[in-house]
Amino acid sequence: MIYLVRKLGAIALDLIEGLGRMGMFFFRVIRGVGRPPGKYLSTLKQVQFIGTKSFFVIGFTAAFTGMVLGLQGYYTLSKFGSEGLLGSAVGLSLIRELGPVLTALMVTGRAGSAMCAEIGIMRIEEQIDALECMAVDPHSYLITPKLIAGLIALPLLTAFCDVLGIFGGYLIGVQLLGVSGGAFMDGLTSSVVWDDVYMGIVKSFCFAVLMIWICTYKGYYAGLDEGNFGPEEVSWATTQAVVYASISILVSDYIITSILL
Amino acid sequence: MSSHNMIEIRGLDSHYKGRQVLFNIGFAIPHKKVTVIMGRSGCGKTTLLRHLIGLKPSESGRVFVEGQDMGSFDEKGMANYRRRIGVLFQSGALFNSLTVSQNIAVPLKVHTRLSDETIRIMSLIKLHLVGLADFLDYMPSQLSGGMRKRAGLARALAMDPEILFVDEPSSGLDPITAAGLDDLILELRETLGMTIIVVTHELESAVKIADQMVVMDRGNLLAVGTPDEIRSSQDETVLRFLRREAEEQQVNTESYLSRLLGRQYKAGENSTRRQGGVR
Ligand SMILES: Nc1ncnc2c1ncn2[C@@H]1O[C@H](COP(=O)(O)OP(=O)(O)OP(=O)(O)O)[C@@H](O)[C@H]1O
Ligand SMILES: [Mg+2]
Repeated sequence: MIYLVRKLGAIALDLIEGLGRMGMFFFRVIRGVGRPPGKYLSTLKQVQFIGTKSFFVIGFTAAFTGMVLGLQGYYTLSKFGSEGLLGSAVGLSLIRELGPVLTALMVTGRAGSAMCAEIGIMRIEEQIDALECMAVDPHSYLITPKLIAGLIALPLLTAFCDVLGIFGGYLIGVQLLGVSGGAFMDGLTSSVVWDDVYMGIVKSFCFAVLMIWICTYKGYYAGLDEGNFGPEEVSWATTQAVVYASISILVSDYIITSILL
Repeated sequence: MSSHNMIEIRGLDSHYKGRQVLFNIGFAIPHKKVTVIMGRSGCGKTTLLRHLIGLKPSESGRVFVEGQDMGSFDEKGMANYRRRIGVLFQSGALFNSLTVSQNIAVPLKVHTRLSDETIRIMSLIKLHLVGLADFLDYMPSQLSGGMRKRAGLARALAMDPEILFVDEPSSGLDPITAAGLDDLILELRETLGMTIIVVTHELESAVKIADQMVVMDRGNLLAVGTPDEIRSSQDETVLRFLRREAEEQQVNTESYLSRLLGRQYKAGENSTRRQGGVR
């Protein structure tokens, strides 16, 4: 019994310590925004990295998701004889929900995992120690550009995802199933309002922060808990990063939706 | 506290996950001198270095930099200290996404406002010192192990540090290049008045460059003194280390072999097999 209590206490303490460390990590990354050296170039590089890593996957996913939405939406709506609503159904679900979430999940799998592995390797090869010994703050030097880049790239990729998804829905609904193109576009433009777009943007910003934060944090502290620094620690950290980031994206999606609705 | 000492270590213990690896280490590192730390593999040299550069936190009252307690440094104090030091890691620790010259430029870019052209020239000068001027635009992965070490040394020298820490600079180098590095270390001490701390296995090079030698054994300090004092030491362990003698074998062959084979070793079993193999 006492053993159980002690065990629970230890777990709780570990949890609190971990959360505190994550908070400090985030604080240091934010603080790094104003610190030298200039971050334009490194941020641009990271934007390019995230973009090139994820562009095609997102396009592919978006197009097919849009097409499936077109099919399923048509099937459901035609039961009520309201195929004309297809445009707004596809548009709203993509812009409010699927666009930001799918984009964030894809970017996590492609760029987030790669970032985690990159930072983790720098950790085990003492490169982060070397930065510290040069009085260069690794948070500011390594992580801050990634965070800014994520905040730039994710909304852009989300917009790209939305557009391609709607295009996919249009293709199926209008070209294949014979919904009138005018009705599709009319439903889309009349039902999507600023609030919907706003929700999508808020989501993509939040997901960007969560994804970069969790992925880089996991890499930064790869193996530090076990005290041994090997390739296994990096691969383990990468797996954990992708899982945790994906889960927190989905959970926060629910929270943001319920707040903004 | 004597003003001739750059760093003073007093009663330093160190642990990894509860396992103690340094025991009550205490000695002083004099200003503008070369201090060589020697000892067998795994005896805690790198760990000691990590305490001196603040990567492994020291308890308060253990490590002093010019009389100031490193254990009580805050973030700012540590950053100020680290601006004065240069470190060559045992692994080299080059940033593998940057070229050799970009590696050397990192501290210059962060801490100075020099133009890119000036920074490039300064990197070239440092690379010249270590004999790598032709490899400016190589990636670390395209260098040999010894070249990576030298590039790491060039990076450690980028900011002209007051105190230089080098962990096994000549491991993986041929004797001629290694001797060149020894000369470089002496030159840095002469011309720039650097305080230099070198970890090395090479007795010959240690004797050549050291003003002070520190000999360690399994986490303990064995001896501190000038190379001459160390060589005329009466301590049995020190002498054995200098003569490069292996520890007396205390394990008997039979128990060693049964440990290797994971079962009871029977005398004679192996010899028959060996005869069979010869034939
Ligand atoms: N990260 C670590 N986690 C746990 N133990 C460690 C770690 N680093 C070193 N040790 C242990 O500390 C002891 C001293 O290691 P250290 O690296 O300081 O030796 P060293 O003298 O530098 O050896 P070498 O000459 O081979 O580099 C060793 O027993 C080693 O097992
Ligand atoms: Mg070592």
